[in-house]
Amino acid sequence: MILAIITALSIALALGGAGTSIYFYIKDKKAKEVLEKREQDVSRRMFELAILKELGDRIGYSLDVQQIVDIITGSLHQFIEYAAVSYMLIGPENVIFKIHLERSVHQRFVNEIRDRMLGSLSALLDREFDKKDVKEIVSGAIIIEELDEPVSSFFNIPLVIDEKVVGVLTVADTKSGLYKEEEMTILYKIIQQASKAVTSLQGVVKAEQAKVNAMVESMADGVVMTDTDYRILVANPSVRQVIGLSNKKDITIFDFIDNLEGKFDIRGRLEESVKLNKPFKSEDVLIRDNFYKIFVFPVTTSVPGTPDEKNVVGGVVIFHDVSAERSVEQIRQQFTSMIVHELRTPLSGINKISELLRAGPTKVGKKEYAEYVRMISSDSAGMLNLVNDILDVAKLEAGKFDVKKQPTDLKAVIANRIDFFTPSAEDAKLSLKVAYDKELPPMVPLDELAIKQVLNNLLSNAIKFTKAGGIVEVFALHHAAGGAITDELARLKDAPTLALAPEQLASAPESVIVAVSDTGGGISEAGMKELFNKYKQLQTTSETGMKGTGLGLAIAKGVVEEHGGFIGVVSEQGVGSVFYFVLPLAQSTQ
Amino acid sequence: MPKVLIIDDDMTFQTVMSAKLKEKGYETDLALNGAAGLLKMAESRPDVILLDIMMPKLDGIGFLKQLQADRPSDTKIPVFITSNLNDLDKVSEGAELGVRGYIVKSDESLDTIVSAIDSVCHSPKEEK
Repeated sequence: MILAIITALSIALALGGAGTSIYFYIKDKKAKEVLEKREQDVSRRMFELAILKELGDRIGYSLDVQQIVDIITGSLHQFIEYAAVSYMLIGPENVIFKIHLERSVHQRFVNEIRDRMLGSLSALLDREFDKKDVKEIVSGAIIIEELDEPVSSFFNIPLVIDEKVVGVLTVADTKSGLYKEEEMTILYKIIQQASKAVTSLQGVVKAEQAKVNAMVESMADGVVMTDTDYRILVANPSVRQVIGLSNKKDITIFDFIDNLEGKFDIRGRLEESVKLNKPFKSEDVLIRDNFYKIFVFPVTTSVPGTPDEKNVVGGVVIFHDVSAERSVEQIRQQFTSMIVHELRTPLSGINKISELLRAGPTKVGKKEYAEYVRMISSDSAGMLNLVNDILDVAKLEAGKFDVKKQPTDLKAVIANRIDFFTPSAEDAKLSLKVAYDKELPPMVPLDELAIKQVLNNLLSNAIKFTKAGGIVEVFALHHAAGGAITDELARLKDAPTLALAPEQLASAPESVIVAVSDTGGGISEAGMKELFNKYKQLQTTSETGMKGTGLGLAIAKGVVEEHGGFIGVVSEQGVGSVFYFVLPLAQSTQ
Repeated sequence: MPKVLIIDDDMTFQTVMSAKLKEKGYETDLALNGAAGLLKMAESRPDVILLDIMMPKLDGIGFLKQLQADRPSDTKIPVFITSNLNDLDKVSEGAELGVRGYIVKSDESLDTIVSAIDSVCHSPKEEK
């Protein structure tokens, strides 16, 4: 259609040119010649353009040489006179010989062209071709035996793409002396340009293909692409890993079918996707210890001029690993059910106590009564703590945990907490000590309530996890920017049981460091990593079997970070642990 | 007097359950976890065991497995799982290990638990 428009345009131009030329004929005969030449030039250029445009439009990214040559031969008749146009292309299994007859000719005419073309192909490629290998296609006018006219004009052009002869193109006629220099030049030019266009297109496509291949190869998602017969065209390293065939060279669809063990009907899904031209997305599928979401897409090429018609050339299957997401989801679920359990236990306890008390005051002894009341208060306090912790975590997560920093006497805050915990330390037969650095600034910008909460958590943990006879010690020191932590620790009266790791604090600005050390069992390296993760906490159990909500450290971390500081721990199994937090002294932006 | 061993890390439950059982004429013995429970078993043989599932050190299922391995004769002692977990997996796991019943603590009253114990203790087949 585009060709038709452009051809019409070129005719209009030619006519216009002719009209003008008459005027000039009167003026100057020489000018007429120039103009005629220009006319021809314009017309020829338009024709070349039309063919090239047609090439671009109709072929798109298809590099099917036959298709390209078909287009050229199909358009050639408008410009060059011939009885037959034909091409011969070297295919993988045979030589394609396609001849289109504009006029009826004798079979011998066709045969002669075929033999001549085969001859020039042999000469060009220095290779013998057998007539049996030629696949002949004749179209156009019919063969008439009575018309026994020989080939009188014959013009042969090699088809070269990317510097390689891929075939020959021929125009021939029964009339003699037809193909003169001009026609030949034009034909050469067209072929040359088409071949140039295809060559550069091939280059572009090759580069694109290399880019796409590199991308697919390096993709974390497993990618496998097949043609419509389910032959594997691409299978990247990730997908080989999915089916556990990282080292197998040639993978077929059957490898997939076997190794997916019926968990995903890859063939069926591909078939459906290719036939219906519809994408598919699976639920999570468990394959060899990993969960995958599997996507199936049809692969289409669009045919230009028919934008609605997509040509499905194959299918692609993508395996997206969702194991990590699932494990987070699983941890979250475990966390929720743990919380529910932690709430249900004391609630059910209180419920049982009420059952006993319902028997009436006379039936319950005075001692038991006091015990029940104590249990109700401790169970409900536990639940309240848990609910408060959950709320704090939620606030920290939502960024709504309000920290109001004010110059505060840190020593007083610590002393207050020491007083508060002394009774429980005595109960646990621990000695609770405190040590202050004499260079500690009198006032530190902090949120008193929030920091008390952090201290509560660190102290109650230390007491909980230290056996009778152990020592729990709080110490606070001033840290200068770039100061050596070992020198700063040396200012303290009692050296803490474990030295703080200097490298962890090396980059801290001027700040105060508050630490709680214990002589408990210490924490394993694996345990330390999970320590501040709110979802990993609930299973911790102390020496004495006491349970915590385990959210405390996650909250403490959040609170300290809201202060612009950080929290950390150093621990040695069998020696003890030091939990510390660093509060920067400079008023931060907050 | 028949003796009930309560293995549970929930001290409130231990206290109230034990009070109720004493009121009904039972003797009780207490353990805070599976490991402590096994020690108690070595000391004196209970007539019935109330067993929690989620406990530190050794959980209820672990206790049952250890009991089968160490003291096979004691597996005749009727065991009731008393847990707040309403977990079908644990129910079937317990059933495989021969427990008599699975009681969700928060769903049942102390009286119900006592009647469950009554049903096995007063049965003539059980030894005193």
